[in-house]
Amino acid sequence: MNVSSHVESGVNFAAYRTFDWGPADSLPTGDPRLDKDPFFKDQMQGAVEKGLAARGIAIATSGQPDLLIHYHAAVTERIDVIGADRRYGYCQTDDCRGQVVAHEAGTLMLDVVDRQTNRVIWRGWAQERLEPLLDNRDTLAAHITEAVTRMLERFPAGVAR
Amino acid sequence: MPGSARPAVAALALSLTLLSGCAPMRVNSFLERGATLSGYRTYAWAPTDRLSTGDPRLDNNPFFQRRLQTGVETELLTRGFQKADAGASDVVVHYHASVSQQVSVNGADQDDLRCETPPCSPDVYEKGSIVLDLVDRRTNKLVWRGWATTTFDNIIDNQRLFEQTIDEAVRKILDRLPPRGV
Repeated sequence: MNVSSHVESGVNFAAYRTFDWGPADSLPTGDPRLDKDPFFKDQMQGAVEKGLAARGIAIATSGQPDLLIHYHAAVTERIDVIGADRRYGYCQTDDCRGQVVAHEAGTLMLDVVDRQTNRVIWRGWAQERLEPLLDNRDTLAAHITEAVTRMLERFPAGVAR
Repeated sequence: MPGSARPAVAALALSLTLLSGCAPMRVNSFLERGATLSGYRTYAWAPTDRLSTGDPRLDNNPFFQRRLQTGVETELLTRGFQKADAGASDVVVHYHASVSQQVSVNGADQDDLRCETPPCSPDVYEKGSIVLDLVDRRTNKLVWRGWATTTFDNIIDNQRLFEQTIDEAVRKILDRLPPRGV
């Protein structure tokens, strides 16, 4: 799983205490298997709430939240080379020749908006191959949790760089 | 030079070179036939395009948009362009970024047992491009276009490297802007 993020420098992340969900994402995911899937939404929102709670940020129960959070899933077709790892001393195909294959990459993204300035102050993402995940709900749930947890580990605790 | 260096070591060194972003950036531009920039003094931004970049990490990415816009504004200012309100400028500036995967069929000649540059196998890499357009606001015609292209693997994931790459691209593209004269 590939995880990383972009952050706005100079923002004091320690000042944020509450969040709420931004307007629902109307962009299609690029894959009908994920569009309007309530299971996906539940897993995603649950994992984010848990991850942020660990950083002292709770969902707003009254008044205006400090942060608005927006998530998005995207599916893109990727090409990859297998069996081309001779540089690391092994090969996966009999003749050791590379083979170009296509796969679907899923990208989960979290955008965090400062409600007062209306600026996106942080974006995190996690990417991995999608095929092995879609036909098993337990696997999908575990991967969503891992993706969100690892993304939020990158969420700054104080003033960003 | 140790003559015993294994090919694998050389290949690893090569891959590290590519990873460290040393691949050259290719930059080019054109000026519309017969056009001149000498009459232009002010610019304004076109609305940010909503076209997909080809990479979800870059789509609607405000960190990318702000970095690029700040860079372009700095470079244009040093070249004597003043920022004006939309609808009141001489030129309108528009940009577009795209990321795509490229397949290099290095080693496709292995049937003939020829391979000059190891690793002799197909390779996939990412190519990133930035295009900057200057459009005459009154005629709505493109007068100048500049672009930069570079290998882009592992760049978006590293914000610092990502910003350096944008800065370099913007500077190199606008270095090609014809002198405005007086």
